[in-house]
Amino acid sequence: MTNCIEVKGLVKRYKTFTLGPVDLQVPGGTILGLIGENGAGKTTLIKSMLGIVRPAAGEVSLLGTDPDCAKEDIGIVLDDCFFSEYLRVKDVDSVLSRVFKTWDKGLYRDYLDKFGLSGAKNIKELSRGMRMKLSLAAALAHRPKLLLLDEATAGLDPVVRDEILDEFLNFVSDEEHAILISSHITSDLEKVADYIAYLHQGRLLLCDEKDRLLESYGRLVCARAELEQVDRGYVVSTRKGQFSTEALIRRRGDFQRLYPRLTVEPVTLDELMVFIVKGERA
Amino acid sequence: MTGLIIKDFLVLRKTLRSYLMILLIYAVVAFSGFWQASFVAGFMMMMTAMLPMNVFAYDKQARWDVYGLSLPVGRTKTVASRYLVVLILAALAGALTVAMGIAMHLAGRMQESLGQYLFTAAIFVVFSLMINAMMLPLLYKFGSERARMMLFGVMGVIALLVVVFLIPFGGLDWLQSLDAPTMEQIAAVPAVAVVSGLVLLAASFLLSRHFYGRKDV
Repeated sequence: MTNCIEVKGLVKRYKTFTLGPVDLQVPGGTILGLIGENGAGKTTLIKSMLGIVRPAAGEVSLLGTDPDCAKEDIGIVLDDCFFSEYLRVKDVDSVLSRVFKTWDKGLYRDYLDKFGLSGAKNIKELSRGMRMKLSLAAALAHRPKLLLLDEATAGLDPVVRDEILDEFLNFVSDEEHAILISSHITSDLEKVADYIAYLHQGRLLLCDEKDRLLESYGRLVCARAELEQVDRGYVVSTRKGQFSTEALIRRRGDFQRLYPRLTVEPVTLDELMVFIVKGERA
Repeated sequence: MTGLIIKDFLVLRKTLRSYLMILLIYAVVAFSGFWQASFVAGFMMMMTAMLPMNVFAYDKQARWDVYGLSLPVGRTKTVASRYLVVLILAALAGALTVAMGIAMHLAGRMQESLGQYLFTAAIFVVFSLMINAMMLPLLYKFGSERARMMLFGVMGVIALLVVVFLIPFGGLDWLQSLDAPTMEQIAAVPAVAVVSGLVLLAASFLLSRHFYGRKDV
């Protein structure tokens, strides 16, 4: 299985924010979910990978080659629809069919039908959800091998989101395809992602297989006195309330064997983020 | 690159339609004899100078630059496509101006001579190329909002350049002689001016490419 995305030591510096160094690999046939709070650097990472912003250091290889050479095979959905509201839905076809050699007009029409988009509609008239669908149709209609999606499911209703997630799963059934998707809707990522990368204040705090992450971390709810008895090596961070204390526990299986009387619940990606950002470091 | 040129014209579709309507009204007024036909040529110059700025503003509104740079086009071709849009607009405006002038001349409704009209039209086209040559690097460097504020400064610089350029020919007196241009002037001035405009546009392209090549969008 070859890597569709390889990022080594990527650094992008702004006056008040630095991204990286980031190291990342996404193997073919998989989906990497990128999570992180607002301003963590998710969009900057995607832009740096594509050369939209110039990184200060690091190497990026997409589909085994330089990003500029790979763009023909990359589908992009960024956090908004970037087509002017003075265009009509069918104009996107007129423009992009002359940009991508592999643009498939029939496939674009199929996606428009599937997403309930009329070609004659002005983009101005579309809701945010419909605009995101248009961006997705445009990203998929040139049969890309790699999808880079920044908040692509934001603003979509659950039914459409589910359909699109199925589309993503179908897309990565080809071993040469891969997806990097950043999202605040972590339930989507729990559903489809194979890997999770957690970006916090420009640094990659976690990057691992999703199942391994969710299995290895757990949420301990106990009394403060009980927590004080626990080996600190297992505790990632804690959140103390008036009546109870919660802790993010690493190596959940080992912990439960060691402390069978304490209950450790599975943790969600949301809880993982909140614990790491807002919890007190152990 | 063709895709980007088509995108610019599609985005400008409505604006072009409005400008053509205004042009039609101006043409009718000129045809009625209230205005000189050269006034319409002046309107064409303003249109050609303003339209590329509108495209930058529309792109900024849609944040197209971010998406555009993710496409397999490259920064140099992206800039080149915008310059081609300027040249196409100038060519279209020039062709329309000439067609209208010939139509008015044939109908006997032109106050000035056809030669004088075409001379003025050529100068106007060159002015629009000069404005674009100066504005486009500013638009790439500073963005549409800040660059628009520099437009009047650019017009001032062009006026100054024209005056300096004309000193060897006798300065503003020579400019006044263009009110009734000689056959030599009619033949030579537009050709020299168009070539100068194109050279300036080529230099401007290199500068824009430099600015856009380094830009983080």
